[in-house]
Amino acid sequence: MSDGAISRDPILRTERLTCDFGALRAVSGVSLSVERGTLHSVIGPNGSGKTTLFNLISGETRPTDGRVYFEGRDVTGRPSHDLPHLGLARCFQRTNVFPKLSAYENVWVAAFARRTPGAFGFLRRASDFSPVDAEARRILGEVGLAHKLPARAETLSHGESRALEVGVTLASSPRLVLLDEPTQGLAPEATQHMTRLVQGLVGRYTILLIEHKMRIVMSISNRISVMAFGEVIAEGTPDEVRENRDVQRAYLGGRR
Amino acid sequence: MFHGPRGALLRLALLIAAIVLLPLFVRPVVASEIWIFAIAAMALNLIFGYTGMLSFGQATFFGLGAYTAGLMMIRWHAPLLAVLAGGTLVGALGAAAVGYVCIQRVGTYFIMLTFGFNQMFYFIAYKWTAVTGGDDGLPGIPRPPLSVGPLSIPLESSTRYYVFVATTFLLAFYAMKRIVDSPLGVIFQSIRENPVRAAAIGYDVKRFKWIAFTIAGAFTGCAGVLYSMMFGIVPLESISWIVSGDIVFMVLIGGIGNLYGPLLGAAAFKWLSEAISVVWERWPLILGVALVLVVLFLRGGLVEAFTRLRDAFGGPGARREPGETLPQRVRAESEATP
Amino acid sequence: MNASLIAGAVLNGLVTGMLYALMGVGLSLILGLLNIPNFAHGVLYALGAYVMFSATKAFGFLGGALAALVAVAAVGAVIEYLGVRRLYRVHPDYILLLTFGLSLILTETLILVWGPVGITSQPPALLAGGVDLGVTVYPKYRLAVMTVTGALVLACYLFVTRTRYGAIIRAGIEDKDMAAALGIDIRRVFTLTFAAGAGLAGLGGALMIPVRGLQTTMGIDILPFAFVVVVLGGLGSLPGAILAGLLVGVVQSLMTALWAPGADVSVFALMTLGIIARPQGLLGER
Repeated sequence: MSDGAISRDPILRTERLTCDFGALRAVSGVSLSVERGTLHSVIGPNGSGKTTLFNLISGETRPTDGRVYFEGRDVTGRPSHDLPHLGLARCFQRTNVFPKLSAYENVWVAAFARRTPGAFGFLRRASDFSPVDAEARRILGEVGLAHKLPARAETLSHGESRALEVGVTLASSPRLVLLDEPTQGLAPEATQHMTRLVQGLVGRYTILLIEHKMRIVMSISNRISVMAFGEVIAEGTPDEVRENRDVQRAYLGGRR
Repeated sequence: MFHGPRGALLRLALLIAAIVLLPLFVRPVVASEIWIFAIAAMALNLIFGYTGMLSFGQATFFGLGAYTAGLMMIRWHAPLLAVLAGGTLVGALGAAAVGYVCIQRVGTYFIMLTFGFNQMFYFIAYKWTAVTGGDDGLPGIPRPPLSVGPLSIPLESSTRYYVFVATTFLLAFYAMKRIVDSPLGVIFQSIRENPVRAAAIGYDVKRFKWIAFTIAGAFTGCAGVLYSMMFGIVPLESISWIVSGDIVFMVLIGGIGNLYGPLLGAAAFKWLSEAISVVWERWPLILGVALVLVVLFLRGGLVEAFTRLRDAFGGPGARREPGETLPQRVRAESEATP
Repeated sequence: MNASLIAGAVLNGLVTGMLYALMGVGLSLILGLLNIPNFAHGVLYALGAYVMFSATKAFGFLGGALAALVAVAAVGAVIEYLGVRRLYRVHPDYILLLTFGLSLILTETLILVWGPVGITSQPPALLAGGVDLGVTVYPKYRLAVMTVTGALVLACYLFVTRTRYGAIIRAGIEDKDMAAALGIDIRRVFTLTFAAGAGLAGLGGALMIPVRGLQTTMGIDILPFAFVVVVLGGLGSLPGAILAGLLVGVVQSLMTALWAPGADVSVFALMTLGIIARPQGLLGER
């Protein structure tokens, strides 16, 4: 574990991670290593197990086999509500926020989880927690929703929803962020916004990113892992991956 | 008109006015019952409206509070405040135990479990005649005076008891408001809205559900205590599914998730049941029909009906929605924005 | 505590258990498909009994039973078609509240039509009297009911697991949207399943008249036990409901013989233990 100095060990490491749903093997022996401070992308055709991999890491699904190490600590099978407190947060492929709460409350409640006071803290009004309030506003500003604080999440446009989705994730003050297709369903301009946002996170956070839009992946990633049929079939820098035959075959030459 | 800090004061003033004026419209006994069940309805609203768990067994804790109070007064001649504390505590403990098992399941299962436990406690109360009096109920419950230090206020008269009940209600209301305004309020709502995400951002969902359930049990137990002293007897019915259903109906008809909805629901329900049952013994039939109609056509309850009426008369909607836990500044900003 | 007493208690338990299994199967189908605890399930059971009581006078025992089955199934179909169906898109809690309201309406209707006083009835002449089983003498009718109910339960199980229509029902339980996408008229399946569940409950009530009599509260009295059976057996699991039904029936009956006041409580204690030890139910899946 960390002894105070910035560790050179990978922030996240999975070891032969496997997940079976009955007869279906969704993830097969995935051993992944993510270096601190990098942006590591996971790509692959639909159904290749990327989201399931995220679920295994963040605790939504228990692996059938294999282990997950976060900052050197074995977190395999820990319930999902433990992970943010350890420094890991994720966003979801399909916007998964709190529909009837306002954008502000969405981020607030996520930020508060990490600043929970002792039992007596709960006797205070929610509005009295200025640090949480400040953090919520800051994050909403960062994701471009400063003008939408009181709007109910269910009233937001798709682009704004995705921004909120990321905002809620960041509110956990994580060191590692798992972003599952943040640009999913976004129009070109919104996609650019989101890409810039994600790029702006590099350095402050370590990012594990699932993306379909190749141009984005190639331009912003430090490392890429390619998945197909639940396995990692290739891994390397963007250039290495681009040249890789197996990868080309997996995508049947097509580009998304 | 109802927004902002002045709005809060206005709502409070209306509430106090309602408390003061109610005995002019109904008998003090009925008025007392209204505030007693308002407490129980508020409690259910906390777990249903705010946290998303529909409990069909709140009578368990209502009855536990009532029987505890009755026994404390009959066997130990306990003073009033001790009885109030005792019943509330037993309600909380009962809810902690029952809740622990029930929250292991969600949705439909949860509901059936709360119903099942309610029946279990009902059967225990029915059979354990030595303690509860069984079918005959627990009679001979006095109404001890309210004694604080040297001061001792007798509560024998219906009017005086009404004042006591209403005051207790106001305190309970204030407590509920503080709970809902605290971070717990938003956390509970986040669990209702999206339990998977609530867990993903770091909340132990089961634990918070359990906390909500236990808090609701405490409030409901308190209501039970007040009820035990209404007629000097704890009827077996206080722990039966009938009361559980009544409380659910009150919350539904008043409007879910809204802090004032349950109050309206309790008032409407009690007033209606009083008025109709005098005329017709088959009053549950009307209740059933009303419930069916509300469920099919008026799901927002009375609050929604009230809101629609206000909007129809051109006023700005007097809406209080569950999401309104924003600090005043933010709300004011949003109103300033064109 | 002698062998005859225990044998009698076990047999009683099986009779009740078969009834619970029947109720559990019907409720489990409705729960599995519609995802609602049908609070009206108890009162449908009561309705079947009352209809049987009146219909028997005109049509005899078998005719009465048939009338009960058809009448209650029809009521179930109407409930689904006019009420429940409107609420599918809305939160399932509302369907529950609807069924609760309906149970109030139907119970009061029973009182209005048949009066508030309980009624007892004798089994048909053919099945009157007892049978000497060696260890004890047991009423013929109860043995018959146990057999018939058991056969019904088995028939349901086979229908749902072995027939094409049963597969459609199971598909609907598994994934409504997919089933609809495959061209199955899922709404008709819902209505028929609800009607079937209701009919089974009604028939159960009808057959049990000589055993349990008729009271206007019989509906609400049996409902929690039906819930326990479904919760204990596991969501959507018919074998689970059957197993749980028998278990609950036998436990309750044995407790009645051993220590009567604890009989009903023991059922809920069993449920609690079950939930804690195995949250998904005896035969349910996670």
